[in-house]
Amino acid sequence: MMGLLSILKKLRSNPEKELRLLLLGLDNAGKTTILRQLASEDVSHVTPTAGFNIKSVLSNGFKLNVWDIGGQRKIRPYWRNYFENTDILIYVVDCSDHQRLEETSLELTELLQDDKLRGVPLLVYANKQDLASALPASEVAQLLGLHLIRDRTWQIQACVATDGTGIKEGMEWVCKNMPTKK
Amino acid sequence: MVFFNLWSVLQWYLRPFIKWFLRKTTKLCELQRICYGDRAGAERTCNIEKSLMLSRTRDVKEVVSFLDSIVKERRFISSQFHQILDPSINIILRVKKINPKLHDAFVPSFRRSLQQIWSYRQLVDEIEDLRRTQFDSNNLDHEDKLLKLWDLLVPNNPLEARVTKEWQYIGFQGDDPKTDFRGMGLLGLENLLYFASEYPEVSSHVLSHSRHPKYGYTFAIVGINLTSMAYYLLKDGSAKTYMFNAKQYLPCINLFHKFYCYLFYEFDKLWIESKPENIMEFSVIFKKFENAIHTELADPASVFRINIEVDTI
Repeated sequence: MMGLLSILKKLRSNPEKELRLLLLGLDNAGKTTILRQLASEDVSHVTPTAGFNIKSVLSNGFKLNVWDIGGQRKIRPYWRNYFENTDILIYVVDCSDHQRLEETSLELTELLQDDKLRGVPLLVYANKQDLASALPASEVAQLLGLHLIRDRTWQIQACVATDGTGIKEGMEWVCKNMPTKK
Repeated sequence: MVFFNLWSVLQWYLRPFIKWFLRKTTKLCELQRICYGDRAGAERTCNIEKSLMLSRTRDVKEVVSFLDSIVKERRFISSQFHQILDPSINIILRVKKINPKLHDAFVPSFRRSLQQIWSYRQLVDEIEDLRRTQFDSNNLDHEDKLLKLWDLLVPNNPLEARVTKEWQYIGFQGDDPKTDFRGMGLLGLENLLYFASEYPEVSSHVLSHSRHPKYGYTFAIVGINLTSMAYYLLKDGSAKTYMFNAKQYLPCINLFHKFYCYLFYEFDKLWIESKPENIMEFSVIFKKFENAIHTELADPASVFRINIEVDTI
């Protein structure tokens, strides 16, 4: 996780001190595991999120507020309450869960239509690439219809949240595409 | 911080002198003073443990590492207690020059503490094993347990299929609970199952709260988060207060389950009393609950039991 620190250091070049990242996705996508990876915490004891988790990752006076909201269907109606002032939307997909790819795609489409998230850069983590049944990121991008997005910058990043593979690369993209605040 | 370090260094050097002084004036060794002076339960056993762990006597250190090695092999079981503990106790009696005939109250109370200390250590390992065992839907035993959980919580209403939205009724997230156990593995399921089978009234009462139209929450998911809480309290030693104050039991898996049931019952009570707006208040209320339990466990005199008062809201 050393690499992550150095990226966060790069964030210093941006004078704004706080950034709000919103982690969304279906239940069991790996949001909390990614959150813990970002905070360099142990990832082997994760439990399903009832409600939400928030962590602030501090680096050289720069504060990254990461909001991880539970993904189960019952909680999704509350996602909207956390949209305000989001700087980057991170959407996590379990690429091995073929049955729910359509469901996750629908949820994402709905998110992207929301006014409060208009223009917010989107990073999709194509998670669980270590599983044999996982679809590659390119195919997931196709299924989610990412290439049709015109109103914001987006990126898809293959990753394995449990061992951290790809997380750093995703955050690098976040740094480069950080919106310049008014 | 500096002061704290200084104090621990001082303690390291002063402890033998203080002990020597007390030994001369009271004619009792530290272990005896604890057994006679401290209340039975968490207070006494925790102090015995501390005293043994701080000891610089070679024989005492050997007793400690011998008992640890028994635990490592999972052989610290009640039928073996005499065989395992008698030699250890005799070594301590000899080293500390305690005459068991003169001090006949010492041995039973010391023995009880040893049983508690090393049963707890073995329990930590056993719970870790259960937690590491991932729920596996190809394992018939795991599947049976899951289905039994449904039957216990929702009797007279058989599941329509193994994979079904009905699971959400008892608070799983989707239509297959297998992905919900995650980092708590089989331990999460075993905890829920014990709650449902050993406390049928309390668990159905709690389940009905979780189904409340306004203050509802996801029963199983909250349960798995409580498993995680109980697990951490066991690992960091906070649960010793609960386990050592249980008069009828030594630390064992069932006692851990009972601890979990207590937490579930208490959390439910706090949740309902808090009148939350919605499930998004979970993190805040859960944190509050954790702090309250930590405070309770910090007092070695705390005794825990489920006060059953089935109310209707």
